[in-house]
Amino acid sequence: MIKNLQIWLTAFAVVSLYFYGLDHFIMSMQGLPLNMDLTPAQ
Amino acid sequence: MKARRYSSWLMWLVLLVIAVLSFFWSGTLTTANTFNSGFFGAVAASTEIPADMSTAENTELTLTPAPKPTRADYPDVGVSSRSIVWVVAQLHLFFGALVLAVPLFVLVIELLGVYTKDSRYDDMAHEFMKISITAYSITALFGGTLALALFLLYPDLMAYLMRVFGAQMMVYAILFFLESIVLYIYYYGWNAMRYGNAKWVHLSLGLLLNAVGATLMVTANSWATFMMAPSGVNEVGAVIGDIWEVMKGPLWNPINLHRFIANIAFGGAVVGAYAAYKCLAARTAEARAHYDWMGYTSNFIAILAFLPLPFAGYWLMAEIYAYSQQMGITAMGGILAWLFIIQAVLIGTILLAGNYYLWSGMSRTEGSKRYQRFIKYIAVVLVICFLIWVTPHTLILTSGEIAALGGSNHPLLGALGIMPAKNIAVNLMLIFTFMSFQIYRRSDKVATVSWETAGNALMVAIYIVAIVNIIFVGVYYGYFTNTVYKVGSSVIQVVSTLTVIISGVVLDAFLYRKAKTLPSHWGQVSNRAQYALFALPIAFTWLMALMGYVRSSVRTHWHVYTVMKDTSPDNFIPTIGYAGNMMTIVTVLFVLFVLFIFWIANLSGTKQVPPYATHKAPAAERVESTA
Repeated sequence: MIKNLQIWLTAFAVVSLYFYGLDHFIMSMQGLPLNMDLTPAQ
Repeated sequence: MKARRYSSWLMWLVLLVIAVLSFFWSGTLTTANTFNSGFFGAVAASTEIPADMSTAENTELTLTPAPKPTRADYPDVGVSSRSIVWVVAQLHLFFGALVLAVPLFVLVIELLGVYTKDSRYDDMAHEFMKISITAYSITALFGGTLALALFLLYPDLMAYLMRVFGAQMMVYAILFFLESIVLYIYYYGWNAMRYGNAKWVHLSLGLLLNAVGATLMVTANSWATFMMAPSGVNEVGAVIGDIWEVMKGPLWNPINLHRFIANIAFGGAVVGAYAAYKCLAARTAEARAHYDWMGYTSNFIAILAFLPLPFAGYWLMAEIYAYSQQMGITAMGGILAWLFIIQAVLIGTILLAGNYYLWSGMSRTEGSKRYQRFIKYIAVVLVICFLIWVTPHTLILTSGEIAALGGSNHPLLGALGIMPAKNIAVNLMLIFTFMSFQIYRRSDKVATVSWETAGNALMVAIYIVAIVNIIFVGVYYGYFTNTVYKVGSSVIQVVSTLTVIISGVVLDAFLYRKAKTLPSHWGQVSNRAQYALFALPIAFTWLMALMGYVRSSVRTHWHVYTVMKDTSPDNFIPTIGYAGNMMTIVTVLFVLFVLFIFWIANLSGTKQVPPYATHKAPAAERVESTA
């Protein structure tokens, strides 16, 4: 049970991190940087 | 020996293609006007340069501006010239899309047959080609008619285009002959080159056929994109660049990609309708199973190709805006904007029909019971997103209605009429359609890998976080930040959707490696599912007619945008009602021709029983072949 919970939490953590990085990367690539909280830096 | 003989022929064909392409791209013949003096001297007589003239004089003579025809220069044939060209061009494009697309996935299916050693793939690929081969003749007929109509009805425009593109059009003709030769060898040589080395020769021919077909398509695309966004010419239309500069305008590659993907989706949908027709008409369980499988494969091709299509369309529109904001606004901000609502209805129809077919198809296997509970949720999301997509921003209202509403935008639904809401809706529809695919593909399998829980957790996390991300960036950047961030955030949505699709395909490939397979019963599907396969090509055809009209209309009163004015009686954007009628006419005509093709394809597999062989049965009884 605990192992399953760990698996699911890890999966969500990894994927969330990926999409967070993706948002920063794609917007920066277009010259539209973001702050850490994803608000526009410009 | 036989394989060697075929290889020799193949080598010659390859050499011929290389020679043609070399000629096409060669630096020595790249000046459009040089082409003209060689091949189209009569048309481009004004461009010929006497040998003793100085360079400056040559340049002056060579720079011939685009013609400025008056209304009297357009022949009057009693009916609208534009309508004639509209119908013929659209039918040519429909059939052209079909015959270029079918060999693409036929080659993949044939290759699959070689690797799996399952002859059913080979039979199916051969049958797909049977449809394509009949359609090819009709494509050529409409192509010839279109050329005649254009030269007859728009002589000045065609003379100008011949001057600009010159011998490139001759290359097109040569490629067309090459396409015909390879196509006929590929189709009629199917059974002669079915096994061993000969099969690889056959596959190589398929590859060559597709290479020539793709080159034909991008060549013809350059004519359309030159008319929309001319390059390689100056402000008065005089050719100042080589043929490569003329071809590689800003819209060429976006159109190339968009048409390439759309053709595959369209081709898949049309052959799917053929399979549905055969499935419904099947007299034996074996035939029904075969055509059910064929229909499933066609739908798979159509929807899978359709998933990335909105992104290619998005790129095309972005490039149109980048080239000319005025042109972009004409397309999406003016009268034509309403056509994008119709587009949403048609795409919604395609996605709902494609999903419905998959859900119905899940009845083929008992393993699908594990996933059937998800269908109702997918359906709810698809319908909600569809309704958001078809919500217009500005309504066409009377003054009384505006007063009652408190403005031209609905206070609540108005927010759903702009792009951020529609981008969210489109991306979610694509993700949930992929989900239907994924659960369908998983229905007849049981994973045996030790990391199944982790794999499923990862897939579920990707779905949920991607959906949250798409909604978040759509709402936050779309409604609460400036326009630049709003537009930029749509790329995040596209990549999020693609992440779901790509990771789903890759993850399932590993997760279901050596999986236990549950029995599937092909043919065990409702007839309603087959009708969904009929809906797909009709919606696709109408959609192509609609968007083709939009693409062409953005030139407004120009034959060649900003370079050559259209002064014919038809130099205006027709009303939506008129355009709708034209689109419907071409769609109905195409469907009628497709039915003719299906009938011909069916007829070729039908044998009449000799009268002396049957004593009791009617003399005209026919034996239907299921192959």
